[in-house]
Amino acid sequence: MRFVRDYLIPRLIQYVLVIFFGITAVFLIPRLTGQDPVLEVIAQIQTQGASLDPVAVKSLMESLRELYGLKGTLGEQYLTMWKRIFSLDFGPSLFQFPAPVSMLLRIYLPWTIGLFATSTILAWILGNILGGVAGYFSQKRWSKVLDAVIMLIRPIPHYIFGVILLILFAYLWAIFPAGGLMLGRKAVFNLRFVMTVLRYSFLPALTLVILGGAAWFQQMKLLVQNIKREDFVQYASAGGVKERILISRYVMRNAMLPQVTQLALVLGQVFSGVLMVEMVFSYPGMGLLLYRGVTRGDYNLVMGITVLSIFTITTAVLVLDLLYPLLDPRIRHR
Amino acid sequence: MSAILRVQDLQTFYVLEVLGTRKVVKAVNGVSLDIHENEVYGIAGESGCGKTTLLRAMFGNIEPPLRHFGGKVLYRMDGEYLDALSLPLHKSREMRFTYIAYVPQGSMSIFNPVSKLRATFMDFLESHVPGTMRKSLLALAEKHLESLGLSARVLDAYPHQLSGGMRQRVSIALATLLRPRVILADEPTTALDVVAQRAVLQLLAAVQKELQNTIVLVTHDMGIHATIATRLGIMYAGKIVEEGYTPDVFASPLHPYTQFLIHSLPRIGDKRVRESAPGNPPSLLHLPPGCPFHPRCPYVLARCREEVPPLLEVTPGHRVACFLREVNHGTA
Repeated sequence: MRFVRDYLIPRLIQYVLVIFFGITAVFLIPRLTGQDPVLEVIAQIQTQGASLDPVAVKSLMESLRELYGLKGTLGEQYLTMWKRIFSLDFGPSLFQFPAPVSMLLRIYLPWTIGLFATSTILAWILGNILGGVAGYFSQKRWSKVLDAVIMLIRPIPHYIFGVILLILFAYLWAIFPAGGLMLGRKAVFNLRFVMTVLRYSFLPALTLVILGGAAWFQQMKLLVQNIKREDFVQYASAGGVKERILISRYVMRNAMLPQVTQLALVLGQVFSGVLMVEMVFSYPGMGLLLYRGVTRGDYNLVMGITVLSIFTITTAVLVLDLLYPLLDPRIRHR
Repeated sequence: MSAILRVQDLQTFYVLEVLGTRKVVKAVNGVSLDIHENEVYGIAGESGCGKTTLLRAMFGNIEPPLRHFGGKVLYRMDGEYLDALSLPLHKSREMRFTYIAYVPQGSMSIFNPVSKLRATFMDFLESHVPGTMRKSLLALAEKHLESLGLSARVLDAYPHQLSGGMRQRVSIALATLLRPRVILADEPTTALDVVAQRAVLQLLAAVQKELQNTIVLVTHDMGIHATIATRLGIMYAGKIVEEGYTPDVFASPLHPYTQFLIHSLPRIGDKRVRESAPGNPPSLLHLPPGCPFHPRCPYVLARCREEVPPLLEVTPGHRVACFLREVNHGTA
């Protein structure tokens, strides 16, 4: 098949190369900083007042180097890293020693996927529908009012909006908890657990849906206002095509194309989570995990999250590229 | 013969606000036309004389910056005349493409790029006719396409997969899908090579013959008018300056502008250098007083600079807006 030979195989090779170079960069950059995490840990222990005898320090350094994958020459370390990646074992985490990184990821990831993916998709749907209709009827009064309200909400930072919601609904009118869902709690599926999760996730999700939806709204409104002026819309309108058909099949359908691309790219960022929102609501997600990993110099944890992040974003783009011709017939795989 | 489409002293101007100053472009400046049933009415004139604007107004599509300043456009339906410019919105939507259809200038991007053409055709059908009639009308469109050597399979293509000529023919098939009484065609052959031009003109002629309806054809190409138009109106600076049956206009053009247009056409065997009208078309922003053609006219009279000549009949069916007719025919 020509498609496989001329498009799919080169595209897959490109995919593998991007991941390869990405991970190699992640391997090299921390090693170029010249800092030695092992020495830092030793220094940390020593500042805490523990006196260690030189022999113990030496054996501790040995075992830390082993755990961090810092043993041997640069080439040997590089090979070790790839071995670890293929066995999905990123070594033990430091700040929750001796829990392995892969276990932490398994615990935190469902929380982030639940919050982040759900609220992103919800924001996307709401923002696009409202933005599309408001863009089509941009001369109407209600559309202008809605646009003004969104313009006020949109630039509010996540952490301020989150705090406002907390003050309103967790303090003044305390119908939701102010966060504090136990960090690292394992997800189990029964009604009580689901209800708890919903109660704790509601305010963070609301923050993400409103602020995210406002952004999608503004983009979609602009897209629709432009597409409405295109020849094919004007012509169909001159031909007496019903407005319902005009909005859905002509205007929205065409305006959706760039929005689908955007959605895939945003969803690909699931691994870095939504740090600000997770911090405000002390929500146990990937953003918070990554933040703690970075501040405590947890080499293995940061490495694990970054590698998975590279993998998801490139995969999201690959899937999007392969599916795009189904959405836009003008795109052909060549 | 009673007219199917009647334009009475129509004035539509573009009103532009540029840096606080109001500019009025008199694109259609007092046009009166009677267009009959079962004829091809050609409108000729150079670029920027208001041809397209006249067509838009005849289609009842007057949107800012274009504004209606006076006169009427009347559609005859069941023996009665409807004022096209004051129809309620739902009524004019219903009449679009069922009574009066429009073939736009350049069909490059008039089709929804993400839909197959069949879906676009169905959108128009769905908006105008009950479900039972849709199939037969679509079959008719396929027949039109096939009779011109375009396979009906083009309807299964996306717009970007067709050439310009094919797309223009598909746009004519779409405009005639609902058997309109009047088809307004705005430069349908511009930007096509001569072979595609021929196919488009043949399609228009074939459709007109089959539906026995009226086509208003706007083009600057006098050769096309000579081939297809029953009657011809010559437009200059927002006005009709001459009108008559095509053979009469070509045999004895009365207006000096028409004479220039016709004498500039090449003739087989004639190798003389072609003359064109001297000077440039006037700006519709600042029209000269009197006859708008007088600055370019080789036969200009004193009164041409002050008075606007009315469009009057000289011989049956042949009207001209020029004071020379009085000199030549001694009717004054």
